[in-house]
Amino acid sequence: MALLQISEPGGKPAKPAHRLAVGIDLGTTNSLVSASCGGKIEILPDDDGSYLLPSVVRYRADGEIIVGNEAKQSAAKDPGNTIASVKRWLGKSQTEIAASDHAARYQFDPDREQQAPALVTAAGSKDPVQVSADILRSLVERAEACLKGKLEGAVITVPAYFNDAQRQQTKDAAQLAGVKVLRLLNEPTAAAVAYGLDSKEQGTVVVFDLGGGTFDVSLLSLRQGVFEVLATGGDTALGGDDFDQALADYLRARIDKQASEEASELVVLHQYANQLKHDLGENDSVDIDFNGYRGSLSRAEFADICEPLVKRTINTCRRVLRDAGKTTEDIDNIVLVGGATRMPVIREAVADYFGKAPLTDIDPDKAVAVGAGIQADVLIGNKSSDDFLLLDVNPLSLGIETMGELVEKIIPRNTTIPVAKAQEFTTFKDGQTAMSLHVVQGERELVSDCRSLARFELRGIPPMVAGAAKIRVTFQVDADGLLSVIAEELSTGSKSEIQIKPSYGLDADTIEQMLQASHEHASEDRDIRALREAQIEAQQIIDAIYAAIDADGELLEESEKASIEAAIAELRGAMQESKPIRIQELSEELNRLSGDFAARRMDLHIRSLQGESIDSVEPIGK
Amino acid sequence: MISTDQNFFQLFDLAAHFEIDADALDARYRELQNETHPDRFSSGTEQEKTRAVQLNSYLNEAYATLKSPLQRAGYLLKLQDVEIDRVSQQDLDMDLLMEQMQLREKIAELPNDDSALPELEKMKKDVLSKLEQQREKFARDFSAGTIDVAKRIFHEMQFLHKLLSEIEEGEEHRLGY
Repeated sequence: MALLQISEPGGKPAKPAHRLAVGIDLGTTNSLVSASCGGKIEILPDDDGSYLLPSVVRYRADGEIIVGNEAKQSAAKDPGNTIASVKRWLGKSQTEIAASDHAARYQFDPDREQQAPALVTAAGSKDPVQVSADILRSLVERAEACLKGKLEGAVITVPAYFNDAQRQQTKDAAQLAGVKVLRLLNEPTAAAVAYGLDSKEQGTVVVFDLGGGTFDVSLLSLRQGVFEVLATGGDTALGGDDFDQALADYLRARIDKQASEEASELVVLHQYANQLKHDLGENDSVDIDFNGYRGSLSRAEFADICEPLVKRTINTCRRVLRDAGKTTEDIDNIVLVGGATRMPVIREAVADYFGKAPLTDIDPDKAVAVGAGIQADVLIGNKSSDDFLLLDVNPLSLGIETMGELVEKIIPRNTTIPVAKAQEFTTFKDGQTAMSLHVVQGERELVSDCRSLARFELRGIPPMVAGAAKIRVTFQVDADGLLSVIAEELSTGSKSEIQIKPSYGLDADTIEQMLQASHEHASEDRDIRALREAQIEAQQIIDAIYAAIDADGELLEESEKASIEAAIAELRGAMQESKPIRIQELSEELNRLSGDFAARRMDLHIRSLQGESIDSVEPIGK
Repeated sequence: MISTDQNFFQLFDLAAHFEIDADALDARYRELQNETHPDRFSSGTEQEKTRAVQLNSYLNEAYATLKSPLQRAGYLLKLQDVEIDRVSQQDLDMDLLMEQMQLREKIAELPNDDSALPELEKMKKDVLSKLEQQREKFARDFSAGTIDVAKRIFHEMQFLHKLLSEIEEGEEHRLGY
């Protein structure tokens, strides 16, 4: 028996039992989950044997949450309660979301505007983190059923070009779904791992990843098991969806406009456009037959429609090559990832730009999930990590606001992470004791053109003449690409540290509350019941007031009538938005407002019955 | 195990010269990544993980500094206790300064669309070849111990880099980024 177990720093711990960890590709249109099965990474299927889980969630009025194919199929039938492509909304403000093409069919919760923007559904308000968590939960259930055990962690992939807010919200969603995140892994890097380990190739490789809603390009050097990302670039609002949208817009211009304004009609048209796009992958020309409109569409015409989108992808490639200090001749291979790279128009543009045909022998849908699974297996400790090492970069520059609302870059884009950079600042007024810092992310010169990550204040600077205090601020980006900031005043050592929380992220308390809510499944049913009861009671009050106004409206002053009507309108709004507590509050408010009116009616009726004076009647109130 | 007390050259077992063996730098970098990357400590204690993040961040900074000729030059001067954060006019060659200003004006006057790209490309080549000459000069003067001259050349390299990034921004802008 060993009395002492001595472990050296960096030494390998004793080999533990096989632990369950998965890789999750949380995609805009489809999601996948993979795990190591008998030493090989496999994509885990659902009960019907299908691998892709459509990233679509439907919230039913009875509280049931439907994820995947069934939800996707009901999108046209129930567009307002069926949420698709939610990944595009992670880390975004309501204004940004509302401006996106496919937001038209949803209603936003006005009460949630200030926090994470939320959509109104039959089962209450749902924000993008909650919807993402529901997709993750469904994948975890699938994995636990397949692997017959409890998961200990997951590697979740994100577009390389995701900013801090988008990364943080992905982590929040995982936490809400009860999944421990081993690592957020950039999607093209994951694909490169799957490809590189499989092909044993050495050299310089471009991963061109056009998914449903996001686009990434990464340039990697693969040498002796080290996968080093040299540069990455992309567009988190460009994907296969946009090609569908461009085609749908083209069709809409040719189809009866009146008929195509309805939300459900838009969904159908979008799905039709998607189908045409797929058919064009196999045929040079397709027939169009939609709502009485007949015509045809050739590949060349489709290429014209998509030209601006294709150009954006190639420009991104150009920029990534430049960031890495490479030219197209340095590239040994181009790997295509993401379902949208099946489009011939993309393959041709890529081949044209790089001067060589891209590799198409890996399954573009599965590569990311497989890479995530490999990394999960390593990070949980099942697999020796000697096989490979991943070195990734931060996709966007980090900077701070300086005088004149200009950005001073602290960590430029495409710096290998983890990274720490310290910068010294000083006071600019005599006796200045506090200093505020504003951290932004982006490439532009003006603060207003970048994304604000955090503002914080360093207090307790000892009063000195201007320029005498020395404040050192250290920016640390961890291996997940998330930032923390430490500020210290060097003469006194006063120190403050913050973990950056994105402007539209959730705070820890909110996550905890949501966690509790999601753990207690019973409480969901209770909530639904509470909602129903509140709605019914509110409707009864409204009906009664209208009946009273019909009968004795002359007892009301105009101003009283107006305020009662306003209260009714507000209550109806709350009923539609399915908020039980708000409904109750407004119901009480309405009761209070109409109380005098009810009392007067009571008086009138009693008087008319008995012919007595008011004074002799006991006051009756509600 | 490496330590953050080592300077960047010591970290990579390299002599503190401007001319370095790029292959040796890369090979040692991969070796040190294997030792210090946080992924190597994913099942370690919190303390080990924090330590790995610190060491690995230091390694990344060191590698980026030595890999870039401009940053490497600046770092060498810093190791000699030369102040490089402040530049005065006498640190610079006035002819070079004038030339820079003219080039900058020229960039601003170019048409604001992709018809300007070939001209920008040509300017970039010019700046790059000038940079190459400056690097050779820096290496000579630094190893000869004429640090004052080396400092002046370093600042000129900084200006050329600034110009280069302005040309590249001009290109990006015209490519519609």
